[in-house]
Amino acid sequence: MRVMSLLTFLFPVALKRDSSTARPDPEIDKADFRERTRHRDASLRMTVAASVLGIATLGFAIPSLAQVPYERIVNADSEPANWLTYGGNYYDQRFSGLKQLTPQNVAGLKLAWAYQPSRPAGNVETSPVVVDGIMYVTEPPSTVTALDAHTGAKLWTWSPILHNVVAIGLFQTNRGVAVMDDRVYVATIDAHLVALDAKTGAVIWNTVVADNKMGYAITGPPLAFNGKIMIGTGGSEAAVRGLLDCYDAKTGKRLWRIWTVPLQGEPGSETWGDALPGGGTTWNAGAYDPKLNLVYWGTGNPAPDWNGDARPGSNLYTCALLAIDPDTGKVKWYFQFSPHETHDWDASEPPILFDATIKGKPRKLLGFANRNAFYYVLDRETGEFITGVPYAKQTWAKGLDAKGQPIVLPNTEPSPEGTLVFPSITGAINWTSNSYSPLTKLFYVDAREMGSYYVKSAPKWEPGKFPLGGGGERALSGDDAYGAIRALDATTGKMKWEFRLHSPSWVGTLATAGGLVFSGTDEGNFFALDAETGKPLWDIYLGSSLRSNPVSYAVDGKQYVFVTAGTTYFVFGLP
Amino acid sequence: MSAIRPLCVAALILALPCLGRITLEAQIPRDPTPVVAKTSPTDIAAGKVLYEATCSKCHGLDGGGGDGPSLLGAPERLGDAEVGAIIRGGIPGTGMNGYGSLNIDETGQIVGYLRTLGRTVDTEIAKGDPAKGKSLYDASGCAACHIISGQGGGVGPELTRVGSMRGPTYLRTTLLTPGTNLPQEAAAMERGRFTQFLFVRVTTKEGHTVEGTRVYEDSFTIELKDATGRFHSFRKLELQKLEKLPGKSVMPSFKDTLSATQLDDLVAYLASLKGTPTP
Repeated sequence: MRVMSLLTFLFPVALKRDSSTARPDPEIDKADFRERTRHRDASLRMTVAASVLGIATLGFAIPSLAQVPYERIVNADSEPANWLTYGGNYYDQRFSGLKQLTPQNVAGLKLAWAYQPSRPAGNVETSPVVVDGIMYVTEPPSTVTALDAHTGAKLWTWSPILHNVVAIGLFQTNRGVAVMDDRVYVATIDAHLVALDAKTGAVIWNTVVADNKMGYAITGPPLAFNGKIMIGTGGSEAAVRGLLDCYDAKTGKRLWRIWTVPLQGEPGSETWGDALPGGGTTWNAGAYDPKLNLVYWGTGNPAPDWNGDARPGSNLYTCALLAIDPDTGKVKWYFQFSPHETHDWDASEPPILFDATIKGKPRKLLGFANRNAFYYVLDRETGEFITGVPYAKQTWAKGLDAKGQPIVLPNTEPSPEGTLVFPSITGAINWTSNSYSPLTKLFYVDAREMGSYYVKSAPKWEPGKFPLGGGGERALSGDDAYGAIRALDATTGKMKWEFRLHSPSWVGTLATAGGLVFSGTDEGNFFALDAETGKPLWDIYLGSSLRSNPVSYAVDGKQYVFVTAGTTYFVFGLP
Repeated sequence: MSAIRPLCVAALILALPCLGRITLEAQIPRDPTPVVAKTSPTDIAAGKVLYEATCSKCHGLDGGGGDGPSLLGAPERLGDAEVGAIIRGGIPGTGMNGYGSLNIDETGQIVGYLRTLGRTVDTEIAKGDPAKGKSLYDASGCAACHIISGQGGGVGPELTRVGSMRGPTYLRTTLLTPGTNLPQEAAAMERGRFTQFLFVRVTTKEGHTVEGTRVYEDSFTIELKDATGRFHSFRKLELQKLEKLPGKSVMPSFKDTLSATQLDDLVAYLASLKGTPTP
């Protein structure tokens, strides 16, 4: 039996076939489901064992039978038991098609298991990928661990060897992996991109993306599709020059690089005055439309942050969304949300792709809740601005013009004595992900209601040593700040409901086909709301701040919900 | 029996050779040289620049906290050497990175600057008699609610080091109108956020009322400490009414019980309480 299991493990065709037939649908009666899968398991394992023996005897090369081929990720919505990308699917919708948990039964959720990394060195902000009963999580700063998604048992773990990491203006954390074929892809705090064997954690290749000594560091997840791996970096506070890379998934060889800010003399440099452009880093997740073959990725703040004197102009392509043809590495279109940004409002939130009808016409759209407190809807084929409205308090713009550019109010720039502006330096949302439900057509955002006194000072910079600040903030605090989960009409941005939180949160939202929205609080609560009304249905106190995006998956026909709090990973399910 | 359990066994067998190579050296080893706060005006100005460049993004420009905890009073509580060691070595397992690239003097300048943060600006010099003030403190029942050097009751804030953080004007105002100028407390991550000694009145569905100082609040629950020091816990969704009353306090005013001279003496005593750093 053990030999058979090992063979099954080594040769993923069995796993893959198991999963395609045994892919648990919680709707299916459990006993019936198990009965059917057991037969298939046995027959497939026999077949695989037989063919492996045959291959071994004849000395043939072992064929490559990938567990998670690209096509399977493209069709992620057809297998809701799995959570195949950082955002659940290429559209980054963070929508689970599972229906077992409903407004009627969610109050019965109980802890299924908890996992604690042995040595977490930093904030836990991970969002897992779950494939066929195995969960791939990351641990701070850059460890990858495979867990049995049913029990939490550790299958393997991999950590990079790190020396004297430079981390300027960012936490040493990691937000997640990408899985494709038989590999797990992760980027490390010292700015490497690594391909691991999904069964063992063995390193397949390890490529240096950028020089960590200069302040480049990676906390975000790679995007894996069609033989390619894309990754961005952080480091705007260290004034590095932003870049976005694409690598060959097989070899780790770089296919192309986009510099997000130009050198002097290059196109776009006229938007920087005489400044040496810096910033515009790409530190969060991107989304992908396989039909249009376009990748969408946001860019961060220009450097220095709070003092824009030395960089007159709009500072392209910082605080913008880029739509990229991944075959050529060319930017097809871009949309800059916050030109000449001076409040640290990176446009780094993961974009959400969705289709909807506007004025009778079916449109391919992109929803973006920006750190600057506006919710934008763009046409994702052309970049055309469709609408933009505030989803949280903002005091910096009168509104957006017909092209979606902000009409900036006077006296909102940082000043030596401090200028009070909403939202705060951490933004109306920060790195966390929003969700979109194709059933309710609502966009669920975790809004942060908070202002800051923005202070301007002289920038000080030493490469790889000090951040290029130029100011900072005094945050409004106490009961002047709060958070809210808000449901926005995805095409208009109009708020349908809100659920108030005691303080601004750092937890993304998860929408489910069962009619629920899950999120959490900075105080330590994990909770479920009715997706239609926002009514609170269930909550539990987990004892420390939640700092991750929840996800949902199923094993053996049972739906689970994952979130982290403090440095513990929690999974809940019905008893 | 989960379908993947046999796989776990196989995975563990295969993973064994990998286990030996996990090494983490994310933190720079601590330099044992103790850091001393540098407090000359030049040093404090230099410390301000370093603080704003290195620390303010997480701890706030005013040190009141942000994504990281409040640093107000940290050198007073922990001592300069410990704060300096944390700045240079970081705190493993947290978001606090070590800044080993700062030398001893630069670290001392940051600690010196930290010592200036969070204090109420107060140019008044206490003119009363601290010894008489101590007698008044003992006679007025203050110790029923406040602890000084281990003595007293824990209803209100500890006062062992109050003189190093608060000046005479602030102390007098608090004695006369206790609910004003409640301490700002942003993002004290380890204690729940934003408690601020806020006075809260809760009315339950049954019409029962409880008043007290907020000691904890999250999105679903609130905890109060009443005037006797007893804790009360409530589910917010189940309350009839939740009133937050800034400006009120469970502490009585001493406006009508102390003369102006007595007030000066009590203020002088409190201002003299500088405490000693916890070893």
